[in-house]
Amino acid sequence: MVSKRYVVKRLLLLVPVLFGVASLVFAILHLSPGDPARLIVGQRAPASQVEAVRESLGLNDPLYVQYGRFLLDAAQFEFGESYKVSQGNPVRQVITTRFPVTIELALYGQAIGIMLGIPLGVLSAVKQDSLTDHLTRIGALTGISVPIYWSGPLLILLFSAYLGLFPAGSRIGSTIFLPDTWSLFGKELPLTGIILLDTLLLGRLDAWLSAVHHMFLPSVTIGVYSMALISRMMRSSMLEVIRQDYIRTARAKGQGTKITVLKHGFRNAFIPVVTVIGIQFGTLLGGAVLTETVFGIGGVGTTLVEAISDSDYPVVQGIVLTFALLFTLVNLGVDLTYSYLDPRIQQ
Amino acid sequence: MRRVRLVVDALAVGGGVAALAIAALVVTGTTPTRATELAFAIGALALGIGLLGWSGSVMAGRGIETMQNHLDTNTDWTEAKSRRAMARVGGFGGGLMLTSAIVEVLASGP
Repeated sequence: MVSKRYVVKRLLLLVPVLFGVASLVFAILHLSPGDPARLIVGQRAPASQVEAVRESLGLNDPLYVQYGRFLLDAAQFEFGESYKVSQGNPVRQVITTRFPVTIELALYGQAIGIMLGIPLGVLSAVKQDSLTDHLTRIGALTGISVPIYWSGPLLILLFSAYLGLFPAGSRIGSTIFLPDTWSLFGKELPLTGIILLDTLLLGRLDAWLSAVHHMFLPSVTIGVYSMALISRMMRSSMLEVIRQDYIRTARAKGQGTKITVLKHGFRNAFIPVVTVIGIQFGTLLGGAVLTETVFGIGGVGTTLVEAISDSDYPVVQGIVLTFALLFTLVNLGVDLTYSYLDPRIQQ
Repeated sequence: MRRVRLVVDALAVGGGVAALAIAALVVTGTTPTRATELAFAIGALALGIGLLGWSGSVMAGRGIETMQNHLDTNTDWTEAKSRRAMARVGGFGGGLMLTSAIVEVLASGP
């Protein structure tokens, strides 16, 4: 059982983390060159018009006023309106419409990474120095070494262009249309934007299969790196555990290899792997930026890149803070998971 | 008490550096507004790094210490030392921000 004090302590640590990220983003944006007002009105606009836009956006206020205003708004998850990327629309709306795409990609990729990485790592450890181990090692090293911007186009070429097995460039079949709401006990609720979840909520198995099929290539692209790291970590952790005295005792008492490994070894070997999975989630969110671009899926990563090049301060601040919040929450979940797996960690 | 003093000392150093930096920038031809803005933004950068480093040390410091001992790669890095260093960096940034805001108010009014 995870103690309440431990959870509260971890939750309180979110405050300085988010405050720190907010300060960093604010500072970096204001130290970088480029005038958002000039970008909004265009390069040929008269200086008076630029000045009027600067005044209306509050960019003429002293920096400490802008900083205070930004922190107060950010605490309420309010980042104002987009200057350029989605001009005039609230940043919150931009985030809520684009974020599900990135989350979906990262989660699907993570699922592939976990489902392949853990069994491969265990197998590699149990059959140490065998052909299986060597092949897994080569696969893992390749997965870690190949960058997404290279593996993505290669997978598209092979599986989409030549073999025609998987489509590339959309999240669901073009003939499938989903409504905006779903019904729960007669009450209409909005959909999440995560197609894999929405299709299940709507009870549309055909649409779900289409989404799984369409999202497979981008998710594999992003998940291979995760899979490689998880399998390597699982292998080394498992090797360490199966050499422990309690494993030898279990074997000496006549317990079979499978039960010894899966019942006694797996839980203890899993603790460092859980940490890697949590940290990997941040990398996957970063990787989603590249994957979205390669596969032409419009998620929050693509929006962030656009916003940075357009000096769209509110969008950059909103997205980076949302990323930070999500990453810290995932790591909080990881902390709680391994304190559950090994209660001594809470001490 | 020692912890408060550590942060206050860093704030004072940051404040002094901010005053000198703003003066130097103004002397070299930068407008006072731009000089204070620059000092404030650099202060916010240091504050952000300090806060993130401090919370990172609190969250993962003990784990890193244990890992170093476990892997026998001890570099004398400790969670406590890291926390103190990051508190100094954050305090320094806070000092820069505070002084540049005060200079801005004095120069052009609130």
